[in-house]
Amino acid sequence: MRYFLPFIFLFSAICLHAQSYTVETIPMPPGLKAENGALAFFPDGRLVAAFTRGEIMTWHPRTRQWKLFAEGLHDPLGMLVVSNSEILVMQRPELTRIKDTDGDGSADLYENVTDAFGLTGNYHEFNYGPVKDKNGNLYIALNASSPNGRMRPEVRGTVNPDGRDSTDGRRQMFSAVPYRGWIMQLTPQGRLLPWASGFRSPNGIGFDLSGNLFTTDNQGDWVGTSPLYHVRKGRFYGHPASLVWTKGWKKGSPFALPVNELDSMRTKPVVLFPHGIIANSPTEPVVDNTKGKFGPFAGQLLIGEMNQERIVRVILEKVGGEWQGACIPFLDKQGLRKGNNRLVFGPDGSLYTGQSSHGWLGDDGIQRIVFTGKLQLDILRMSLTAKGFDLVFTQPVTAAALKPGNYHIRRYRYAYHKKYGSPQLDVQAIHIKSIKATPDGKRVSLALDGLAPGFVYEIKLDSITSRQGLPLVNKLICYTLNKLLTAPVVKPAVFAAADIAAGKRFVAASDCAACHRPDVKLVGPSYADISAKYAANEANVKRLAEKIIKGGSGVWGPVQMLPHSNMPVSDAQKIMKYILSL
Amino acid sequence: MRYLKGLLLLALLPLQQPRAQSVTIPMGVMTGLQFDVVRFRVPPGAHVKIVFTNTDDMNHNLLIVKPGMREQVVNEALQLGEKGPEADYIPASPNVLWALPVVAPEQVRTLEFTAPKTPDVYPFVCTYPGHGTVMYGAMYVTADTALPYLATDMNIPPQRRQDDISLEEKEVYHSGHHGHDMAALHPYETKAPYLYRVFIEGASPAAIAVCLPMQLAYCWDASACKLRFAWHGGFLDNSDLWKGKGDALAKVVGTKFFQDSTGYPLGGPGAEVRYKGYRLINRFPEFYYTVNGMHVYEMIKPKEDGSGIVRSFRIPGNTKPLVFHGENNEHMQMESSAGTWMGSTLQLSAAEAGAFSIIMTIKAH
Repeated sequence: MRYFLPFIFLFSAICLHAQSYTVETIPMPPGLKAENGALAFFPDGRLVAAFTRGEIMTWHPRTRQWKLFAEGLHDPLGMLVVSNSEILVMQRPELTRIKDTDGDGSADLYENVTDAFGLTGNYHEFNYGPVKDKNGNLYIALNASSPNGRMRPEVRGTVNPDGRDSTDGRRQMFSAVPYRGWIMQLTPQGRLLPWASGFRSPNGIGFDLSGNLFTTDNQGDWVGTSPLYHVRKGRFYGHPASLVWTKGWKKGSPFALPVNELDSMRTKPVVLFPHGIIANSPTEPVVDNTKGKFGPFAGQLLIGEMNQERIVRVILEKVGGEWQGACIPFLDKQGLRKGNNRLVFGPDGSLYTGQSSHGWLGDDGIQRIVFTGKLQLDILRMSLTAKGFDLVFTQPVTAAALKPGNYHIRRYRYAYHKKYGSPQLDVQAIHIKSIKATPDGKRVSLALDGLAPGFVYEIKLDSITSRQGLPLVNKLICYTLNKLLTAPVVKPAVFAAADIAAGKRFVAASDCAACHRPDVKLVGPSYADISAKYAANEANVKRLAEKIIKGGSGVWGPVQMLPHSNMPVSDAQKIMKYILSL
Repeated sequence: MRYLKGLLLLALLPLQQPRAQSVTIPMGVMTGLQFDVVRFRVPPGAHVKIVFTNTDDMNHNLLIVKPGMREQVVNEALQLGEKGPEADYIPASPNVLWALPVVAPEQVRTLEFTAPKTPDVYPFVCTYPGHGTVMYGAMYVTADTALPYLATDMNIPPQRRQDDISLEEKEVYHSGHHGHDMAALHPYETKAPYLYRVFIEGASPAAIAVCLPMQLAYCWDASACKLRFAWHGGFLDNSDLWKGKGDALAKVVGTKFFQDSTGYPLGGPGAEVRYKGYRLINRFPEFYYTVNGMHVYEMIKPKEDGSGIVRSFRIPGNTKPLVFHGENNEHMQMESSAGTWMGSTLQLSAAEAGAFSIIMTIKAH
């Protein structure tokens, strides 16, 4: 028994602190400078990886054998698998279709898919992608050129000197040939179209599960701290150089525009990664599409970080019609190396990270991250409320989570200017007014003093443990507050509570949910929008109840509201009483 | 050139030293997170002035620390966490002797101090997050005039120990002369023919360099859709290109026997060309492109005896006579498998243009 007790103690200690993720290092073939630029999987389960010296190699997770698939490429930094014998690779001069047509396992056909963009030969003109949308369009991202490099005497593309700042001797990233600093759309017909501008070094683009396109960018001139952008057609994201290639651009040098004009033109980042705190060089966003095989964060974005032994997790929500949200370390150290440049999920739901130190720092090679099935205490979600933020934990937390002293909250912002990077500005400690937790111990609501848009809210958590005694694994989370929730209008109760309750039941029992949701626009308007538009009175109840029964269109757009001719008038009226009371 | 600057400085110092006891170090930044002067020497007790110009596109600071304390100070700077920016990433540590706060790109700041009396090696380092592990150098406080041999100097970053010619020598790859002492370039033995897409002098940024058997090589341009130049005696030195984020070019190893002129060989001046790609046939690339809508395939191989190259063109289904604009020079002679030369212009009938070769023979000297 004496032997046994310490053993039990040891065993329980291991159980309590068992990690959710293990990190395995994939052995690389000898002789390879393993600076990874692209990572993907063939449908047959082979990993396919591209490296700086132009090699594309495959690795079979079962046989663990490396094989050469293609060679001679120029800084391949993105890849999309087409079939077991065909890939699309983004290299410096073009997007290339690489195919093994004779079935010998190595590629023999290298087709130019698109080279309809400029090259000055500047070292910084790295290209990324492609990623594919639901309609078969591809998207690629083109770096701006570096003031530290030159333009070669012979370039590809028409030169526009306005894309290169030379007015005040300051050196900024430039776009002297078409579409440097743009994200481009390649249609299935092969037309390369300018899609969004204002990027500096968008090293990694990716879709979320609903088809939203995201990219990171890197801190530098006009980029105060590294951001995550939601990329939409026609939008400008802040670095002026690329504006010269905007259709119909007549404003000359974009560098000469007043900063406030540029600021008003730009679409702001959905998430800022505070420099030196969360990430210094964020890379490729990849969505957790494993439906739980990789742990509790399904649907969230994971983003590589070059400078630290870290992968970052991003939690987004839509506020006022735009995405915004939080970033939090996902995996720190635990055997993970630096240089995390490319992320891809394997068929088994494990995450592969391709690392590169090319011209920078960090490590080279590939590591695999596997979910052990053990749940740790972590922040599952962070969302904005009218008074502050809600934190949802993966496990019930103890009453320690109700102590204001266990939270250290600051807010700060970053400048938008031509200078390289930005310090944290207007740094301010934020006082907690109150803390509430749900009875299940999973959701903690923080009410804060001083909730204002335009700031990053950084929360450091202390001494918070799960009811089983697990410590919190990631104790730092930063929320980028672009928009506040629209203040809820408190409506006086004008209808009988019983009618409202009945209305709510009727909504649940009917087919309303096919087209409407309480707070998001679906096919039809949200209940909140309807409630905001119409005053809560008997006249509106009658009028709108009639609409439910007869159907109609025009008020909220051309989409037809289906008639509900079998619904009793009194039911429809109760539904309206419920909705207008929201 | 910046490498040279560091070495020149070392050579000049002994001349300044005896009377002045004052040393000025012009310090800049090279791409790839490196101080351009990676080490320098000052006499004990000398007045030292470091004029630091941030020639990089990133922020950097500069700390001089106690002997052997570089890594510890880098760690202390990392521990600053979010307090880093306001502290300019300079930890309040007794190990830090002198420091310049963060210097933005293009800015110049000067650090002045009196060198320690104790001869030793005092590391200098940038502690901006992520930089400290690679961006450092050594201040030698010594009355000696000589410094340790650069290649074995453990006080400077490994890659700087090979500065100047040594690195290039090490990584130069000569086709067919793959020495055993050379570091492998790939996880396989390169075997001609093979190619690299590269940045190279004498072509557009969309260049393709091809290594042929028999010490021959050429550069075909995927933007101009034509042969730009050809050489013999080796292939490429890609060491600068692969080293990092510098604006570097691949270097030709060997002697050029052809460099194109400005004209276009097929389709006349102003021909509209579109690059389509290439197919490897027995590892030789056959380029495919269109010239004014005409579909052209071009494959380049060595002459059987290795005395030059053969450019084979295919234009399937061609129905028109064609003119090929050739060019001769003192290193090379151009012939063809078909057609009639009128000076340097080759006239091809429609049938001849369907498949013909241009043979380029290196002239014996």
